[in-house]
Amino acid sequence: MKFINDSRVRIAVLLESSGRVLAQHGFTRSIDVMSACALAAAIHASAAEIGRQLDGTPFTTLHHPGHERQIFLGELSTGRGAHILLTVFDDATSIGLVRLYFAELSRRLAVATTTPAAPPSFVDFESDLNRNLAKLFGRI
Amino acid sequence: MSLVNYAAREITCKIVYYGPGRSGKTSNLHYVYNQVPGDRRGSMVSLATQTDRTLFFDFLPLDLGSISGFTTRLQLYTVPGQVYYATTRKLVLQGADGVVFVADSQRRQIDENVESMQDLHANLAEQGVDARNVPLVIQYNKQDLPRELTMDVPELDDVLNFRGVPFHAGDALRGTGVFETLRSISELVLRRLSGAAAPRVAVGQ
Repeated sequence: MKFINDSRVRIAVLLESSGRVLAQHGFTRSIDVMSACALAAAIHASAAEIGRQLDGTPFTTLHHPGHERQIFLGELSTGRGAHILLTVFDDATSIGLVRLYFAELSRRLAVATTTPAAPPSFVDFESDLNRNLAKLFGRI
Repeated sequence: MSLVNYAAREITCKIVYYGPGRSGKTSNLHYVYNQVPGDRRGSMVSLATQTDRTLFFDFLPLDLGSISGFTTRLQLYTVPGQVYYATTRKLVLQGADGVVFVADSQRRQIDENVESMQDLHANLAEQGVDARNVPLVIQYNKQDLPRELTMDVPELDDVLNFRGVPFHAGDALRGTGVFETLRSISELVLRRLSGAAAPRVAVGQ
């Protein structure tokens, strides 16, 4: 939240490099977040790969200015590997400020530690799985 | 491995449809998209060429419902099958929890099927993943084509299914085998998660 308040971005999503959402602010439908993250992960992976091929090192940040909104994508190194931050912002802020606070967030995350949680207890796993598969795919 | 978010009590699983060009990967997703109720799926995102060949990937998020108190979501991706899209295939395959291999049953496509299966294993190995530990289901698609053009399922299974994984005959355009395949891979992925010792943990929201 500190990054969002400081940088004044409208939308911020933290995702894995595989495209899965870890945390988000600003979206109203979870399903929209997933599509945005799939595309963001793809853009990031493509930029990293083209950087590797043409520059020798992966490109880790990317900025696209639009008419009213802009996006900034950046890679964050954490204790659990590299993650991607997707932000959407408008004229309430600027790319310079977003980059500045992104760098600060990156420094803070690099030293943050997380405590591994216990594995989930899969009570009623079989019955829940069968019921939901039947509901979604029909009784095959 | 599947992403488990304890704070939000969500499980997200990434399933990748792999296989040679024009084997029917995108058709599988189109059929699922058209059949699953709107409140259980998101928009289908397709990054395709002007002639509708997959350029980067297709993406379809599905909401499976609650399993053991966790909202469970499936994210379906396809890869571009053409040989020259090797780099993008690797990117899409990254972090996959399960793979559906869509084989083209046409007799003349058997070499392409074998090459694509080898490519899958090579890409997993390159990412440090032991292919034997990745849930895999094979769909022998286009079984609706005339017999003289296709190989039958046991014949294809002999060539491609050296791991003895679940398989289904398919006709993705009309939907035959599509849900059976998706159900099989969903079960494999989620059963693996339920038996896993330490799933990866999200950082929370």
